[in-house]
Amino acid sequence: MSELPPGIKLEKEDDKIMTLNVGPQHPGSGHMRIIVKIDGDYIVSCDPDPGYVHRGEEKMAEYRNYITNIPHLERPVIHDSCNILYPYCLGVEEILGLEVPERAKYIRVIASELNRCVYTLYWLAIYGIFLGHSTMFMWPTGDRELLIDLLEKLSGARVTHAYFIPGGVRNDMPANFEDVCIRQINYFEKRIKQYDSIFYSNPILKSRTIKTGVLAQQDAISLGATGSVLRASGVDFDVRKKEPYDVYDNLDFQSNTLKSGDSYARSKIPWLDMLESCRIIRNALEKIPKSGSVRVKLKPNPKAGNVETYKRVESGRGSLGMYIISNGKPEPYRVKISVGSFRNLICLPYLLKGEKLGNMPAVYWSLNYWPVEADR
Amino acid sequence: MLKDLVMPQNANVFVSKLGDILVKAIDQPLGYAINWGRIWSLWPVHIETACCSVEFGAASGPRYDVERFGIIEAFGSLRQCDLVVVQGTITRKMAPRLRLVYDQMPDPKYVIAMGACAITGGLYFDSYNVLPGIDGVLPVDVYVPGCPPRPETLIQGCMLLQEKIKCMKAR
Repeated sequence: MSELPPGIKLEKEDDKIMTLNVGPQHPGSGHMRIIVKIDGDYIVSCDPDPGYVHRGEEKMAEYRNYITNIPHLERPVIHDSCNILYPYCLGVEEILGLEVPERAKYIRVIASELNRCVYTLYWLAIYGIFLGHSTMFMWPTGDRELLIDLLEKLSGARVTHAYFIPGGVRNDMPANFEDVCIRQINYFEKRIKQYDSIFYSNPILKSRTIKTGVLAQQDAISLGATGSVLRASGVDFDVRKKEPYDVYDNLDFQSNTLKSGDSYARSKIPWLDMLESCRIIRNALEKIPKSGSVRVKLKPNPKAGNVETYKRVESGRGSLGMYIISNGKPEPYRVKISVGSFRNLICLPYLLKGEKLGNMPAVYWSLNYWPVEADR
Repeated sequence: MLKDLVMPQNANVFVSKLGDILVKAIDQPLGYAINWGRIWSLWPVHIETACCSVEFGAASGPRYDVERFGIIEAFGSLRQCDLVVVQGTITRKMAPRLRLVYDQMPDPKYVIAMGACAITGGLYFDSYNVLPGIDGVLPVDVYVPGCPPRPETLIQGCMLLQEKIKCMKAR
């Protein structure tokens, strides 16, 4: 008998319970292993095993200065890179005492909302793959390219924008960006409304997701879920509303909540958020100052005093916070990244207990979880 | 006459000569046909190792549509696959699993290293948990640079692999 891989044990006590190893290579998506114990078709317990992409981002941030930290800090979620850089830039601005120009604040809001849609569309595409709905892979992947074009126009890169810098954004919007953006957003909004008929009203999808993995309101609060998972359980918590940063308090939008807390509600909240994002972008393009600078001049190697700060934003996966401590050197003393993915993953063992094995993919990916971000 | 020529002490010479003739007559056209079949049915295994998988997903989407070039989008069962696209960073935890996946695949199999992290460690060259390139783990056929590579670059890498298979000796 050859040696068993780590984490797998032979069942000796009770052969009614079978241990099933899912991943890290599996037909779904994500570099992630789940060790599931099943009794017949029902899951008795499950043990998620993340950490396959742990790259030591927090340690790396300690020996790079505040500016050179930008490119590697956006890598955990490259398709939501504006939102993951947002708390870092807000924090560094606070400890360096920078005042961001008004126009840059609006450009940041537009870029981060576009990026939220890009992230959510990729997430929806993979959710389609998980449920065997290939149309739902093709449609969002195609529509995503429209918004990627917009962001490419803005920043020059397809996914890794590195667009936000402490003190504003890297460069101003190109000349005709506002017109193109309005046109694309109008088309995009019309397009994602069609997802309702092909995906959310699909009887097969409904039968697989409604009343599976129900997370009650009280459990969602006590397990520390964030973002769409929390709002699908009926808790109205959106960082953009509760702790508005930059210009979100001037903009007209609402946070979406659903009551049921099942996989269907969790998959619908990001879609509703995308419609809300279109509204925010349109509103921001109306209110944006027509001219002005977009960044403040930074010294080559900025230093801060003995200060610390915690800033958080609403990313595509929930609240995303960064805790930055400075000790007077050009490099930060500590950067702690607190991500929504990992906090939502904690709910998985509680949701899967007593579910059928076939429902595992539907529950797992509905948690709005991106493994690379959770591992950091 | 042949009976006189072929004797027990020189039979192996004759057999090898016959083999040469057979190689010229059958093996080369057959090898060409086998390689032709392999080129237009590359099946990548569905293993995602880091963030480059976003661009791999975009490459199988409607705009870039890698299926036009005979590369099917990532497939779940590794027993039917012959291509590993290493999508980005390989950490110390992932490397044995990646090797395990590669070892379980049937021959012939090809490897594309996608992204700077898979080639040299890239942005994470000084991280404590990241391998400096996957050359120590898998034999790489084609390197696709970029962080992450654009889907066009990935498609070009796949086409380079097809060119390479065309020149390979069919086994």
